[in-house]
Parts: sequence; C-alpha cells; structure tokens
Amino acid sequence: MQAHIIQSPDSLIENYAPAGENVLVVRNLVKIYKGASLPALSGLNFTVPAGEIFGLLGPNGAGKTTAISIMSTLLRPTGGSVNVCGIDVTQHPGRVKGLIGLVPQNIALYAGLTARENLRFFGKICGLRGKALDERVQACLELAGLENRADQRVTHYSGGMKRRANLAAGMIHQPRLLFLDEPTVGIDAQSRNMILEKLFLLKNTGTTLIYTTHYMDEAAQLCDRIAIMDEGHIVAEGSLQELLNRPPGYAGLGDLFLALTGKDLRD
Amino acid sequence: MYKIAATVSKELLLLSRDRTGLLVLFVMPALLVFVMTLVQENVLKTMGESTTRILFIDHDQGEVGQTIEKKLLESGGIEIIKQIDGREVDEKEALNRVLNGDFQLCVIIPEGTTAALKTRARQAAAESLDLAERPAENAVRPGDISVYFDPTVFGGFRSAVLGSLEMVIVGIELDEKMNALSHLLPRYIDRVLRKSLGPMLPDAVLNDTPGMRLDFGRDRLLKVAERPASPENALQKPTSVQQNVPAWALFGIFFIAIPMAGALIKERHDETLARLLTLPVSFLSVMMGKIIAYVLVCLGQFGLILLIGKYVLPLWGTPKLDMGSDPAAVVVIMFSAILAATGFGILLGTTARTYEQASMVGPIAIVIAAALGGIMVPVYAMPAIMRNISIYSPLEWGHDAFLDVFVRGGNIRTVSGDVIALLSFFVAAVLISGMVFFVKRRNGI
Repeated sequence: MQAHIIQSPDSLIENYAPAGENVLVVRNLVKIYKGASLPALSGLNFTVPAGEIFGLLGPNGAGKTTAISIMSTLLRPTGGSVNVCGIDVTQHPGRVKGLIGLVPQNIALYAGLTARENLRFFGKICGLRGKALDERVQACLELAGLENRADQRVTHYSGGMKRRANLAAGMIHQPRLLFLDEPTVGIDAQSRNMILEKLFLLKNTGTTLIYTTHYMDEAAQLCDRIAIMDEGHIVAEGSLQELLNRPPGYAGLGDLFLALTGKDLRD
Repeated sequence: MYKIAATVSKELLLLSRDRTGLLVLFVMPALLVFVMTLVQENVLKTMGESTTRILFIDHDQGEVGQTIEKKLLESGGIEIIKQIDGREVDEKEALNRVLNGDFQLCVIIPEGTTAALKTRARQAAAESLDLAERPAENAVRPGDISVYFDPTVFGGFRSAVLGSLEMVIVGIELDEKMNALSHLLPRYIDRVLRKSLGPMLPDAVLNDTPGMRLDFGRDRLLKVAERPASPENALQKPTSVQQNVPAWALFGIFFIAIPMAGALIKERHDETLARLLTLPVSFLSVMMGKIIAYVLVCLGQFGLILLIGKYVLPLWGTPKLDMGSDPAAVVVIMFSAILAATGFGILLGTTARTYEQASMVGPIAIVIAAALGGIMVPVYAMPAIMRNISIYSPLEWGHDAFLDVFVRGGNIRTVSGDVIALLSFFVAAVLISGMVFFVKRRNGI
C-alpha cells in the first residue's frame, strides 16, 4: 500500500516538504466568538516540522476544533497568525488549500455514493483527472483496505469502514499537512489499529499530521509530540517522555492530562 | 469548469439514488397536474367553461322544442342529449340523472306548449288591438318550461343558462305574436276605416292591405360584440389545462427547494461542506455546480409536466395544452422560475438549522406562496386584500407570466416584469444566503 503513495504523480509529490522544515507555525492565535464571554483561543502557540505527527489533546471546549478550523482555513482568527509552509492562512487561504487536507470528526462523505465515487468526486474537486485520478483513487482505496468494497455505497458500510473511507478522502490529493479530528472515534479495535498503521505509513512518506483525540493511549502510541490544551491555550507540550518526566513525574499520559486539566466534567 | 462539472455529476448521481427525492420532484407534480386538471375540468363544466351536456325532454314535439334546441346548439359549447342508451328518458329518470351529476341540467318542455303558445299569442294580439270578445275568460296559459340544475352547478352559470333560455323563448313568443298580429291587422284596419269612412269605403281597399315581413322583429339594431383584450391574440378562453399545467409545474419546481435545502444542511452537518471548503475549489464553483444540477432536474420535471399536458391529459378528454406563440418567452419564464426556486432552496438550506426545520417550513412556505399565487384559486377570485398580497408571491409571477403567453397572447416583452421579479428573487435569495452563511461561518456555527 505504501508503494502506491510513493508511485503518485510527480506534481503531487511536490507537496511533501523536506524533513525539518516547519510546515505549520501557529503564533499567538486568538479567537473570540461573537457574544461569548470567554475566548475560545487565547494565545495559542506551536510549531510542527515536516513529517511529524503532532497530537492536540484537551477536554471538551479546550479549543481544539476551533484551532483546527482556523488552521484549515475554515474560520478567521480574531488575532495572531497561522503559517502553512510559509504561507499565511488568513492572507492566502486559496494557496493554503492546495497544501492541506482535513479528516473531520464526522463521516464527511456522501452516503448515497460508493467509496470510489466519493474519492473520484473529491479527486476531481482537487483538479485530478485521467490516469492520475484513477491511480490516486485506487491507492487511497487500498490504503483504507476498501478495494474489495469500493463499489458499495457508503451508507451500507460498517462504522470502521466509514472511518477508513473518511481518512482516504482526506488523502486523495496527497496534502502536505493533514488535520485529523478524532478519526478513530466509535470504531472497533481492528479498524482503529488499521487506521493508526496507515497514519504511520503516511508519516513515513513525509506527510505532516495534526491529530486530535480523546484516547490517551492512541496519542501516546502515534504522536511524535503532544500538546495538551485547556481554556484556549497550551498547558503542556513535548514528546511523550518529556511530558511524563514533568515533575513530579507521571505514570501515563492520562494521569498528566487529568493533573493539568482537572477532574471536573466539561460538558 | 471541470470542478463545476464534477459537482453537477455528483449531485445528479445523488438525486438519481434518492427515491423519496425523486417522488417529490417528479411523481408528485405529475400526479398533481393530472388530478387537478381533471378535477378542474369537471369544475369548469359546472361553470359552463367547458362543453355542457343538457338532457332535453320534449313532450311537446312542436315548434317550440325544435326552436329552443336549435338556438341552444347555435350558442356553442352545448351537447343536447335526448335519449340514453337508445331510449327516451322519462322525467323521473331525468331528474335522477341530473342529481347524480351525469348532466349539468335538464330542460323539460310540457305537452301542448306550441299549441298553447300560438293560441295565447293570438289572444294577446287580439287583446292589444281590442278585438277580443271576452279576454279574461278565454285566456290560455301554456305550461312552464322547466329547467333542473345539478346542485353543484355554479350560480353564474345557472343565470347564464336561464338568461339564454329566456332570450330564446322571448324570440319564439315575439314570432308568434307578430304572426298573430299580421293576421289580425287587416281586420283591425278594416274596422277602423269602416268606422271612419262608413259606406264610402270600397271593398277593394282591404285587398290592397300590404303584407308584413314577420321576422323584422328579430333584426338586431344594437349588438354586443366580445373582443380580445390583447390585440395580438384571437379570442381564446383559458382551459383547465392551461391553468393547471404551468401552475402545478411551478409548484413542483419550487419543491426542488426541499431536497436542495436538505442536501445543503446534510453537507453542513456531516462536515462534507467543511471538507469541500478546505479543498482547492472555490465556494462559488461548488454552488454553481449545485445550481446547474438542480436546474437540469427542474428542466426534466417541467418537460415531463408539459408532455403530460400535451399528450397524456387529452387522452382523458381535456383540451391539448396550447403554449401560445412565443416559445422563447416560455423558455425564459421557465429558466427564471427555476432559478427563483433554486434560490429559495439555497436560502432555506442556509437559514434552517436542521433538515426537519427545512422540511416543515419549506413546504408550508411553498403552499402559502402557491395559494397566494393563483395556483389553486385564480387571483381574480380572491378578496382584495389577498390580491394585494399575491403580488409578492414568486409563484404568482411565474404563473402570471405563463398565462400571459399561453392565454393572453403575450410575448417576451409583456412578461419582462414577471421575469425580472423572478430573477431578482433569485439574486436576493443567493445574496441573503451568502451573508447568512458567512456570518455563521465567522461565528463557527
């Protein structure tokens, strides 16, 4: 499956940034929704180099979805800046769109279409055509393990298959930076394991991933670096080991998370 | 263009697989136009706008019945039935048939009507010339000609039929009175002259009395002529097909708003829209693709309904759809109405929070706009306040424009006002939707 990604058209391989280059730079990001008493984001800062899987953790209402919406051009910030591969997201959203991909938390597919039809549509929307389109569709179907069920309508898929198809659609145009908003929520262990394996494969091809999840073990297993957010800003950031070594020392990411964000319910 | 075509193709594929959507878009308006046209065809019969079937029972078998029959047939739009299944109908059966709605009315001429009329005409003429010997005692009164109406027949039509019969009977009476007068006049003149001149009057004078042309009384001195309001068109009466085909086609077209709004809301809720907005495609291209797809569907819908009006409904005895003489105007109205409907769909899909909300508000809004727009009841039949409100209904603009071309002999110039209104509605709906969408996006809704 990895071979298909490497064999992609040259024009799309251009999307991959050299290792070490900062693909995403977020500076003092602020977002205040109209009528809200508190800011959704209050000075968010982080940098993600190429080829890294960056985990964004936080309780409900911490600002993860708002941050992803701004970084993926869906929302304009109240203040601060976001740069993707050196391009300002607010100033040039059109240019940034060619570099990013989004795998939303919901199954953002047309349920009445088959997986192949969905992928062909999103591929065409990204400008793919002819043989390049056929190859990318086939590669994404294989990556998601859906090649044998490609011509079945999404509405008839299991939860795990839908999640994998959702991931495949986010990769159809081989984005340099892929935002994944809880891509494994509510699926079986096998599908979850497969998705995590595929994300590792993606990372190995140079794709940078921004990953949000509520599963601490998943973040610990997958992410190179993790940022824990609360009340609109990052309260801790680093590799898994760096985070666990924070005084007084934590047995697991879950312990640290609760220590930093508290045990009160966030509804 | 490639991305727009991709969106068009995706939307059409989705719609083709949406059975409920297809029912709403194609089967519902097709059934509505079929049923409503046939129902209204029957209503028009009760209003006299269509061929009226009269059961005619003539017990007299004389000149009166023959003349009434001849004159009714001459008036047009009337079919006279004297026998059912090859046999004469008695009065009781005739009344039952009318009560059952088999006939709109029944005319019964009593036995001896012609003879009584002639006698009474002679008596009346004699009385007028003071030649009658004992008028009060000898007076003959012919039996009444009875007319029975189906209870569902509208008052206006009843009055028109009774008025026509009165006119025919007055004509018959006039003829008989003139005839009687012509026979009595020489006697009267002779009597007057003999009274004045006495024995000086020679017998030859009576023989020289000039004969009368009896039909001079029927010569019309003043005529009422019905003329077309539109100078470009011959006199043409609207048919139930011309009223209903554009009406229900428009109704169906506006129902495109429901699946369209549903698709927009679903895209928003399942974040397909979010995915699209992060891809290298302009929002305008996505919306253009949607609009083109739904316009194509509406064209198919409209074409289907026109075909029903042209070829299917006539098989059930309705007139064939006549689309006037300006096909370009029909195309322009059709496109404008379709754009207005898609504009409404976009507005509904943008402003409604849930599909349930859109699927409740949308149809109610369309039904109200249709009722105000003369789709169900002609605008002229509404109270003044409703007529004033109806001018704000996009369905009224579309329907009025279609009737203008189909019935009033209108053309692209005469419908330009309605077309501009429909296009303005589309532009306004899209602009408002755009504003709502961007405000919601800014607030992360």
